[in-house]
Amino acid sequence: MNLVFRGKRIEGLLAVLPANERLFIDEMDQFDFPRARSLKLKEVMGYDRHRIVDGPVCVSDLAVAGFEHLFAQGVLDRDGFDALILVTQSPDYFMPATSSVIQGRLGLKQDMFCMDINQGCAGFLIGLYQAFMLLEQPAIRRVALINADVMSRKVSMHDRNSYPLIGDAASITLVGRDDNDTLIHANLKMDGSRSDALKIPAGGWREPSSAETRTPHADAEGNLRARDNLVMDGSAVFNFVQTEVPPMIESLLATAGADAAAVDTYLFHQPNRFMLQKLADKMQVPYTKMPSNVVEHFGNSSGVTIPLAIALNLRERVLRETLTAVLGGFGVGLTWSSMLLPLGPMAFCDMINYPGVS
Amino acid sequence: MEDFLKEMADILDEESVNEGDRLDGFASWDSLAILSVIAMAESHYHATLSAQLIRGASTVGDLHRLLSSGAKGR
Repeated sequence: MNLVFRGKRIEGLLAVLPANERLFIDEMDQFDFPRARSLKLKEVMGYDRHRIVDGPVCVSDLAVAGFEHLFAQGVLDRDGFDALILVTQSPDYFMPATSSVIQGRLGLKQDMFCMDINQGCAGFLIGLYQAFMLLEQPAIRRVALINADVMSRKVSMHDRNSYPLIGDAASITLVGRDDNDTLIHANLKMDGSRSDALKIPAGGWREPSSAETRTPHADAEGNLRARDNLVMDGSAVFNFVQTEVPPMIESLLATAGADAAAVDTYLFHQPNRFMLQKLADKMQVPYTKMPSNVVEHFGNSSGVTIPLAIALNLRERVLRETLTAVLGGFGVGLTWSSMLLPLGPMAFCDMINYPGVS
Repeated sequence: MEDFLKEMADILDEESVNEGDRLDGFASWDSLAILSVIAMAESHYHATLSAQLIRGASTVGDLHRLLSSGAKGR
């Protein structure tokens, strides 16, 4: 479906990364594969290092640290926003909503719309749509959108399919009204019939966690994982992305009446460098216009990879100018979505470590 | 075919490969190799092949026939 929004903008963003950094070459022996093949995997996929929480760190811990940083920096007031949206697949609890936990820990006012959304790799876009819709309410002046996941805690460290690329992170994106009344075009599709492609089979109500679901088993390739762990059908996801994303972007630009040459940057979710470069090849977009370096620096933190791509590659530009950006998200659900919007100038665009250096 | 054999040698980390070579004879015929074949099918042959379909091929030559036929496999 096509979506259209009017008069909304991203005012600033902050990414919060676990300080704990792990190198792929130090982790190769965790996998039951010849070292030469793991080195080949590193080279082909573009793996190098990733950020993983050290110990039982939760999504609310990363988010609270991010907000306290913004309050301390004076770029956001504790009562400067009226809605708190958290997009995550690794909530602190089944109940209550982790956005409520964050509200409580920050001591925010009661006139606050808190909600959790269960979305992953398309989660930055889905969160922005929800923020835009909330901003239709006069009582809501500004929305704080949090994307956060600590999925490393649900991925088996002996799973070469998923562990090398996983990353933990959070981002806080401030979304507000734009006096210029700019139109934002977007589109969105979902296909639940393919929902098995990315899944944590056990631990919910369908298959509660038990001794059996916690026991790792080897798959045909020698990856050890339990049913409590994330499982991904990598080749099915690859085909899904290569098949669905290029026509989606084409349709977005056609609907918006925009020329591809006028697009300054394509900011796509980053599963790994390999998949992004194959997408760029297929769409005939130069690599310089489509950053693909988030995973080699930080890992794939689902909904946080787009904010990270902005902070890592475009910080100086989005602080000063307005870029014509195409955002693209695709993954769990399956969900795929894209958006054409002016990006910047932002009040801030930063990355901090958790825990910070005191 | 020559280009295909060169690509396959690179994917399988071999000096060279031949049409008659059995895929399961290569220690490097793993999920990474299969994903690389899927990507090659996409970029050079405009074919979307599932991992399942590729696993059905016995020899390097079978794989070439699969890619050339542009079989759509979901």
